[in-house]
Amino acid sequence: MLLDFDRLGALRWVLVGIGVVIAVYLILPIVFIVLLSFGSSRWLAFPPPYWTVRWYQEFFADDQWLTSIFVSLRVAVVVTVLSTLLGLMAALGIVRGQFPGRSLVRAFLLTPMVLPVVVLAVGLYALTLRAGINGTFLGLVAAHMVIALPFSVIAISNSLVSFDKSIEDAAVLCGASPLWAMWKVTLPAIRSGVAAAAIFSFLASWDEVVLAIFMSSPRLQTFPVRIWTTLQQDLTPVAAAASSLIIGLTTVLLLVGFLFALRRRL
Amino acid sequence: MALLAPAVLVLLVFFVVPVCMLLIRSVTEPAQGLGNYAELLQSSSYRIIFANTFIVSALVTVVSLLLGFPLAWLLAILPRTWSLLLFGIVILSMWTNLLARTFAWLVLLQTTGVINRTLVGIGLIERPLPLVNNLVGVTIGMTYIMLPFIVMPLHATMTSLDPLVFRAASLCGATRWQVFRRIFLPACMPGIMAGALMVFVMSLGYYITPALLGGTANMMVGELIAQLIQSLLNWGLGGAAAFLLLIVTLALYALQLRLFDPLKQITGAR
Repeated sequence: MLLDFDRLGALRWVLVGIGVVIAVYLILPIVFIVLLSFGSSRWLAFPPPYWTVRWYQEFFADDQWLTSIFVSLRVAVVVTVLSTLLGLMAALGIVRGQFPGRSLVRAFLLTPMVLPVVVLAVGLYALTLRAGINGTFLGLVAAHMVIALPFSVIAISNSLVSFDKSIEDAAVLCGASPLWAMWKVTLPAIRSGVAAAAIFSFLASWDEVVLAIFMSSPRLQTFPVRIWTTLQQDLTPVAAAASSLIIGLTTVLLLVGFLFALRRRL
Repeated sequence: MALLAPAVLVLLVFFVVPVCMLLIRSVTEPAQGLGNYAELLQSSSYRIIFANTFIVSALVTVVSLLLGFPLAWLLAILPRTWSLLLFGIVILSMWTNLLARTFAWLVLLQTTGVINRTLVGIGLIERPLPLVNNLVGVTIGMTYIMLPFIVMPLHATMTSLDPLVFRAASLCGATRWQVFRRIFLPACMPGIMAGALMVFVMSLGYYITPALLGGTANMMVGELIAQLIQSLLNWGLGGAAAFLLLIVTLALYALQLRLFDPLKQITGAR
């Protein structure tokens, strides 16, 4: 009865009311920042005197913004490929492997998710300074790998667990080589998990700011770091336009991911 | 096992080694020994920062729980379409750029911001409330970010409950309130504890949101570490602060693993 919407009685409307408030709370800043980016007010007043795309023009006229977008995209793509590949291998090892300390390795692979990012960031800062790769592409990729990998491992192991390995074994019995069976049978069966891993890895890298603040140099800045440094100076609508562009890309990727997730469930 | 090697290697080099380097620097710079740790624990200004970190984290945890519980409940019982829609909103908010969202709150909450102007406009308050650069701003902004992390485990717990138990209880004469308090709430406890611990641990290390929405009076450890190392180049003290934060986090993480094994839920590994 408490878990049956139709039998909740008056309580159900209380819950729905709270739900609406929370939904507004969650959606408000996202909608608001997009609206503001089209507002004419330099001081981010709302509602603005009139609507304009001026801040987007300023954004696209500025080489530094565009360069930072390309830096972010390049890093994110490399991280996505590596993290999905390593995540797939690690997931196979964790889900199928039988060896002592397996759960320990699993916990270890996921630890970066729970650690304070600042600690990781200053540690990596120390390491990359010493190794001479601070402020380089390699340093950024390495840092982002650490936080993307756990997401990839989780997404792929989730779909791997629900896949019946005996189907792959059957393919091998019918004459396929183990790798071919993997490629032709298992991989298609877990493709939604692999796609989710890729999307999450991309987003983890694309959205990352704390690590990137420490890994960036004035010459090599990711998009979020550029927003961060701009915000430190002043609250400009150009930052709102930049934020809106990020939100747009994220939403598209999430919708794609959502569709994959739906297909897996059906 | 060889399959695991690349991933483990990446984490060893870019995660374990850096953390060990921090530990070493914290006990060797500027002098050998535990001087940095002593300074952190004895100086009253650092103690205030640590205390403040715990206070903010606890506050965020409580508010997240108060909002997250009804939200998870609703997600568990709504008809499928509505539940998916609401889930979509939660996921979208979770994965939308952290800076973009924090920036939005900064603009929304400022004294000339929409929220204050609306409240003044409808006559609820006479003067704008100080909503940003203080505890209120940090709590609103951080709760916003933490909410999904408490909703997920709660939702998982609630959907695994057997509705028949509640029916049975009410057939036996229990009132709605009794069923809630004596069956529903205790049954949700593992989810509540797992989610609360997770939010608390994640809050302890937060950097961006407190830096943008908080005031100088309520600095958190994350900001302190970044400042000590990036601006003051005080590697010894910064490393020590980072290491203290790390130890507290790992201890709470170990507790969480021992109590509920939340990773088992999300990885599905057996």
